[in-house]
Amino acid sequence: MIQVKDLKKNFTSHVKEPGLKGSIKSLFSRETRTKEALKSVNLEIQQGEIIGLIGANGAGKTTLIKILAGIVHPTSGEASVMGFVPWERSNEYRRQMALIMGQKNQVWWDLPALDSFILLKEIYQIPDAQYKYNVEFLAETLMVKDQLKTQVRKLSLGERMKIELMAALLHNPKVIFLDEPTIGLDISAQKAVRVFLRQYQKEFKPITILTSHYMEDIKELCPRIVIIKEGEFVYDGSLKNVQRMMGDEKVLSVTTQEKTFKVNVPRMELAKKTHQIFEENEVLDLNIHDPSIEDIIESIMRSGVTPT
Amino acid sequence: MKRYLKLYVYFLRFSFSKAMEFRVDFTFKIVMDILYYTVNILFFKVLFLHTPLLAGWTEEQMMIFVSSYILVDAISMTVLSSNLWWLPFHINRGDLDYHLIRPVSPLFFLSLREFSASSFMNLLIAIGIFAYSLLSYSQDISAWNVLLLILLLINGTLIYYCCQMLMILPVFWTQSTKGFMDLFYSMGIAMERPDKIFKGWLRIVFTIFLPFALIASFPVRLFIEAFHWPTFFHLTAVSVSLWIIMLYFWRRGLRTYSSASS
Repeated sequence: MIQVKDLKKNFTSHVKEPGLKGSIKSLFSRETRTKEALKSVNLEIQQGEIIGLIGANGAGKTTLIKILAGIVHPTSGEASVMGFVPWERSNEYRRQMALIMGQKNQVWWDLPALDSFILLKEIYQIPDAQYKYNVEFLAETLMVKDQLKTQVRKLSLGERMKIELMAALLHNPKVIFLDEPTIGLDISAQKAVRVFLRQYQKEFKPITILTSHYMEDIKELCPRIVIIKEGEFVYDGSLKNVQRMMGDEKVLSVTTQEKTFKVNVPRMELAKKTHQIFEENEVLDLNIHDPSIEDIIESIMRSGVTPT
Repeated sequence: MKRYLKLYVYFLRFSFSKAMEFRVDFTFKIVMDILYYTVNILFFKVLFLHTPLLAGWTEEQMMIFVSSYILVDAISMTVLSSNLWWLPFHINRGDLDYHLIRPVSPLFFLSLREFSASSFMNLLIAIGIFAYSLLSYSQDISAWNVLLLILLLINGTLIYYCCQMLMILPVFWTQSTKGFMDLFYSMGIAMERPDKIFKGWLRIVFTIFLPFALIASFPVRLFIEAFHWPTFFHLTAVSVSLWIIMLYFWRRGLRTYSSASS
């Protein structure tokens, strides 16, 4: 179980004007700027649950994950993951946790994957039988059996991501942090990773926190989502409720000679608004549909509506 | 402990299989280091053409000293240098992340992961020079003395490592590209001089604060002169405190580590 209470993280950085002049100036007087990456967030996740953490770039997703993985110390607040304080970094905690970052590599670039795996087996002290079973099982489900003996740098991005997933899961972690595991992958590789993650979740029931910019990932994997905006949670609840939240609204997609645009309209005013649009524009095309999850989440992220 | 040894064996295996790929690098390094050794030995040989004693040492005693710091240099070149070279980059680019989540000491991993297999030949040559200088020594030496010298030189390598780390660790706060490594390189030459030549405040600096004189000079003095307890205590006390200070700053550094990221 993960419990997070009033967790805050500030980053301070120096402000430097561009160019040589700015550099010289910053030698003498420095302006520091404090950025509140997380503003007192609270969260509770049960064992076996998988949640999607959604937010724009710089909203604080990665910061939260890094604090929970024990990499970054928070400025204040409490967190407990299965009874451990993550940033104390006890070996016992680290043996049960996995972190996968789509943008950083953990396997050794110049070595075949199997060599990295053997090293991980030693680091995590994975028993022989469990190791053998896991390599077999993971390679099979991820379909990378033939790539295990190739140097990692010679693999495609998609294959490499699958190897990263394998490397992170060899020790059967009970808590998994997935930071954009599908970034940069093509559609079919994304799909393969999703299918795998769903199967893995079903079989081993870890706590998983997933961040992604691809709504497909979230829709297929996460019954519960948390939306984070500028360091604050603006929504924490089921994915279905998000859809219901705007249930009485319809979206009009309009194409005219000059432009294409979308308007959200309450169902009751649909006729009136449509009529108005036809009068004011030379309409080429008009569609009426339910708002998609993407639209809803985008509008929450923009306006920060806190649902009840 | 056993687990760490096992891990180190893997590091060795990986490094050698990697090094086999780059043969040019291999020969280049050997030539470079042999040149460095020759220059160092010749330097003192030339001095001894003009004087029978230098800092109280005869030529053959001086050769033991020279071969000792060559040995320390070779060990740290082979075992540590490429790791420490990359450490500031790792800290700045946020590459410590994956080391911090593993149930194994990140300091161990980051300091020893890359065994420089291409320097390995040089280590063998340095060991050869060291052995030769001991074998050609005209005075009687006991096996215990030799063992003590070797242990103290390994300790010297640790001092060398700590000094280097203390120059690198500020990177956590300054986010500069190299920390104070340039200072380290320019001061490092102090390890290649007999400690007797340092007087006054310079002596305090090089035997206590940046204890380069303790790397090879003190051990060799304990070896060729009569064993001197105060010198030995000085050496031990400074080594232990240096290690503790280094670990302290390492931990403080990790606390401020903010992991530059996506």
